[in-house]
Amino acid sequence: MQSIDHHFLDDYACRNALRETDTRMKLLLGLGGIFIAISASTPYSPLFIALVLSYVTVFRAEIPVRLYAALLCIPASFALMSVIVILFVTGGGDPLWTLTLPWFTLMATTDAAWYALIILSRAIGGTAALLFIALTTPVIELFGLLRSLRIPQEFIDLSMLLYRSIFVLIGEAVAIYNAQVMRNGYSSFKGGVIAFSMLASSLFIRAWERGEELFSAMDARCYDGKFELLQSSNDIRLRDIFLIILFLLVAGLLAFLPLSYPPL
Amino acid sequence: MSVPAIEFKQLSFAYSGRPDSLKSITFSLRRGSKTALVGPNGAGKTTLLLMCNGTLRPTSGTVVIGGGEISYDARSLREIRRRVGMVFQNSDAQLFAPTVYQDVAFGPLNIGISDEDIGRAVAESLFAVGLAGYERRPPHHLSGGEKKRVAIAGVLAMQPEILIFDEPTSSLDPAGAAEIMDLLDELHHQGVTILLSTHDVELAYQWADDVVLIADGEILHHGPPATIFCDTDLMRRAHLTMPTLLSLYHHLVARRLMQPDIPPGGIPDMAQRIEEITPGGIAQDAPAPIHLLDTGEGVNGPITALRTIYPNLRIGVMGTAAKRTLAEAAIIPDVTYGVIDTSILHALRREPVLIITTGGMIERVKARVLDFSRTSGISLSVLPLRENDTTEEI
Repeated sequence: MQSIDHHFLDDYACRNALRETDTRMKLLLGLGGIFIAISASTPYSPLFIALVLSYVTVFRAEIPVRLYAALLCIPASFALMSVIVILFVTGGGDPLWTLTLPWFTLMATTDAAWYALIILSRAIGGTAALLFIALTTPVIELFGLLRSLRIPQEFIDLSMLLYRSIFVLIGEAVAIYNAQVMRNGYSSFKGGVIAFSMLASSLFIRAWERGEELFSAMDARCYDGKFELLQSSNDIRLRDIFLIILFLLVAGLLAFLPLSYPPL
Repeated sequence: MSVPAIEFKQLSFAYSGRPDSLKSITFSLRRGSKTALVGPNGAGKTTLLLMCNGTLRPTSGTVVIGGGEISYDARSLREIRRRVGMVFQNSDAQLFAPTVYQDVAFGPLNIGISDEDIGRAVAESLFAVGLAGYERRPPHHLSGGEKKRVAIAGVLAMQPEILIFDEPTSSLDPAGAAEIMDLLDELHHQGVTILLSTHDVELAYQWADDVVLIADGEILHHGPPATIFCDTDLMRRAHLTMPTLLSLYHHLVARRLMQPDIPPGGIPDMAQRIEEITPGGIAQDAPAPIHLLDTGEGVNGPITALRTIYPNLRIGVMGTAAKRTLAEAAIIPDVTYGVIDTSILHALRREPVLIITTGGMIERVKARVLDFSRTSGISLSVLPLRENDTTEEI
């Protein structure tokens, strides 16, 4: 076991090259992408979305390729595993490939292959769009947007306090964890269980103390139920809107046009 | 005598079910003073500070702010908390908003400042602490010193008359700590009364006008730093040590190498006394002049001109605005804290030095150098610089 250093997706989001682009634009692009990708009836559109948004994330937002590839691999590997099962349990169409075992026969058909392909492409397209949002839009930019969507003030205030507390508590947890590792806290399984339970209990107490400190910190600055929101100062560029709408139109057309499946 | 900024009258306090943490505290702070509350861990420093803005309510006795006793209803407390700004020891506990802008805007918003004014208040406060341009950063992307500055800005935005700091320099590196102390000096110069708690005797000795010594919930002494830190008995009772400079002074006096006098206030003072006791004196060359530049006059021209005369020119910078101007001009200063004293030492070593600062601090530099010249008998010259003019002398 080694001590941990923490980096978050949100850190990259705060530093990416599209940081100053308007949040609504980025959400329109990302959410539009997700929606079209998961509802597409052919694999072309999700793959198109995956390609374009990966390009934007890596080359425009300047997210490191290795990080992006690693992030994309996690859901992609899950999707791949499910797709292999789907390939063999779905029927219909012509047999493509048969594996005969003494007690069992596995058969993949053309319909199953198409079905597996569309599931896989939807998953990858959706993930690429989600990662685009996660890596280009810092959480802090979303609070102002929530307000303009008429989400109740109490909900937004609470989520802002929660957001900030997450990082403070992670800092505490990492500090405790490192202190334990330095004294061989996780060197055996049993020791690890004990150390982890101690981490959890002291983290709970610290969280509680932090809550009390938060209360007096807010009180010391005259808390009266008001919490400022970060004003969005970015201008929407017409060119961006045009490109995003063009992209979504193309993706949407690809998704819902009755195109034939690729030949297998 | 004017109304004191804060007055504690027979104040006692106990956390429920515990013995008294504060026992019959009585003292008052002059308006416009800078006071250090010094004491060992667990002496009750933080508890006492929390009384100043009504966060804790004394079990008996009263706290008087600017002549009015604190009353503990919600409306009066809000007014007190606007007037008495509190900066906690742990900046992470104080910064709770997701971005710097939101955090600094929190106070002004809650005391009902209008929307246009909030933007201005935030911009001014961030400028005052040297963090303009940090508005959209989340606090967990800041260094310890930057977090402390944001915490200070959040309090400044409410325009308090009194600033309370709980251990302002703990968990900061020495240069970061010195810069925070310089910022405190700058605020004090603008007329804010400052009370800070610390167990750093060196800091308290160099910085404070007044020291309140507290141990086991009782005030041991209240007076000028030299009298308190020279009293070995008091130091022992308060679990503190004597500042290095004073230890050296006492040693030299005890060995009869130095005449007993007023204890030295800083390194230039001490260096001067050592010079006096050097047998036969030392070959005295005239010290180098201390040049002084107001950033309002433009920095690039005068600095380039001065550098052609003195290739080994040292540049010291005082105040947030001047630091910012210098950063914009891409000039790297040699001294960024303790600037006046360091510059005097440079001048005595015959190293030409330039202090860059703004507005009211110009007078402060002149006054301090003049004071040193008078007490030491070494005449130091301060030369204010202007564009195309490097000769005027005071």
